[in-house]
Amino acid sequence: MTEGRCKPSVFPPRTDTGREDTLDNFVIETENLTKDYSSWLRKAKRPALNNLTISIPKGSVFGFLGPNGAGKTTTIKILMGLIRPTGGMATVLGKPYDDVEVKNRIGFLPDSPAFTPQLSAMEFLDVCARLLKIPSSKRKQRVEEVLEIVRMAPHAKSKVGTFSRGMLQRVGIAQAILNSPELLILDEPLLGLDPYGRQEFKEIILEQRDKFGASVFFSSHILSDVEEICDSISILNKGRLLCAGKLSDLLSRDTDNGVLVKIRQCDDAVKALMTDADNVQKKENDEWELTFKTLSPELDRKINELSAKHGEAVKRLNAREDLESFFFGKIEEDNLENS
Amino acid sequence: MSEIMAIASGTWKNILRMKVVYFLILCVWILIGSAALYEVLSMGQHKPLMIDVSLALNAVAAALVVISITFEIPRELRQGVASTLLTKSLGRTQYLAGKLIGIAVAAIVICALITVGSFVIFYYTFTESIALPMFQAQLLQILSIIPMAAIGVFFATLFPEVVAPVLTIIAIWFSYSVGVLQNIPLLYGGILPNLDLFNFRSQAVYHADIPWSYVGLVTLWGIAFAIFALMLTSLFFKVKDIK
Ligand SMILES: Nc1ncnc2c1ncn2[C@@H]1O[C@H](COP(=O)(O)OP(=O)(O)O)[C@@H](O)[C@H]1O
Ligand SMILES: [Mg+2]
Repeated sequence: MTEGRCKPSVFPPRTDTGREDTLDNFVIETENLTKDYSSWLRKAKRPALNNLTISIPKGSVFGFLGPNGAGKTTTIKILMGLIRPTGGMATVLGKPYDDVEVKNRIGFLPDSPAFTPQLSAMEFLDVCARLLKIPSSKRKQRVEEVLEIVRMAPHAKSKVGTFSRGMLQRVGIAQAILNSPELLILDEPLLGLDPYGRQEFKEIILEQRDKFGASVFFSSHILSDVEEICDSISILNKGRLLCAGKLSDLLSRDTDNGVLVKIRQCDDAVKALMTDADNVQKKENDEWELTFKTLSPELDRKINELSAKHGEAVKRLNAREDLESFFFGKIEEDNLENS
Repeated sequence: MSEIMAIASGTWKNILRMKVVYFLILCVWILIGSAALYEVLSMGQHKPLMIDVSLALNAVAAALVVISITFEIPRELRQGVASTLLTKSLGRTQYLAGKLIGIAVAAIVICALITVGSFVIFYYTFTESIALPMFQAQLLQILSIIPMAAIGVFFATLFPEVVAPVLTIIAIWFSYSVGVLQNIPLLYGGILPNLDLFNFRSQAVYHADIPWSYVGLVTLWGIAFAIFALMLTSLFFKVKDIK
């Protein structure tokens, strides 16, 4: 992987946009957002979130990735005004994160949705609709509508306390889209769902964007789903932003028309190949990664010969990586640098 | 206001749908009725005994309801129910006000049911109608829920599930022990409510009327204390990180 290919960066560069534009074009903006959970009783090793600066453009479906404990939930909770950052600032739809009124225009799904156990799904959604100031004349109809969308209409009158994890997730999505929000902030929305549910949810999320022009910001572990529906992503590790940008840019940058070769076995021919490479990186377990920016016919032949000879030990990857290897690459690189 | 009532109605529905609530009410009725069995032991004084017992048990039931609620709020905060609600356009003070109203309404309904039951039991045991002081004393007992619920909300919001009920029990106990603790400055009306203000068991037993103006004033006092406690809670709750 080429160095500096994806530095922690503001996305997208906003040097040439004026202040007015900025307000219009970004639904979420954070600057040096930091959260430290340590207290006088217990010192944390490092802040849960460290100087996060990120901008989410309007109309995008933005995937917020990172391994467990990366700080995704922390970020989302700050954006929703549930916890207070120890430093930095954040605006959501142009308003400070703790603004109460702006919440009417946002839909939020917490990481482990839980609702008042003795209320039925319908009653709970009615409470939410009242909090969202949906006029009483439209409330019942809207609640029935969203229950239909998330396929929970048959369970509308059952108590929430009896629901399974996946059903709770469905009610969670229902309350998030109740007010046809301009911005959806979803924490692990696909967790706990069966494959059908995941497919349905992806459709619901995309529909919110296509029909109502909603922007979507969601965190996830499930990389294949992210690759399928997101147009932009960012990767967070140990509270720090590793990279952010359009998915297509991130996955193909620098290796356009180029090729990446992974090597686990060295002989003279391989060494010769190394000297030709534009970038050589040593990975763990004696593995090497060679990047060639342009692929000449001669080079093509050489690589093919070597991989025929060494089998799995010389592996040729396409110019465009998949998100999974990109993600692992980024995280491993970061862990090595900071270990 | 509509937000506060949305939270409040969700809260009282949630409490009043728990089956254990009706089990509690049934137990209290049985205990009140059993006072009739003490005719010999109380040397024929079982009528005043029943009046006294029904008031005392109603107070215990009110305290039990408030204490059990101190489990509910921390659980709602811990499990993330609160975070779903607080991320709607709802201020934190409004959330607390809704919770307090919902809890108070639920507890008042429960104690009112106990009272009605105790009157029915009294009427059938002694075929004697209910005297006004008995009614007033029960009413005051029910109204004492307002400041008690405010104490419950205070501890439930600021302390974890294990500590909150214990602190609430201690606070309610102290609030009834005015005779012992009244020399400590600022304790009553400042930090703790004086729940003895709502205690008219002897008047009820000896049929001494309670002036209605007193009932009105003490109600206002209870509400004032509840608002004060709510503001104090809100001060801390505003800066609290929610799970
Ligand atoms: N309430 C809390 N108190 C202390 N540490 C916390 C708390 N919540 C989260 N953390 C820590 O903050 C880090 C980030 O957590 P989180 O934002 O939940 O990660 P993610 O959602 O990306 O899995 C973790 O190391 C976690 O241990
Ligand atoms: Mg998380």
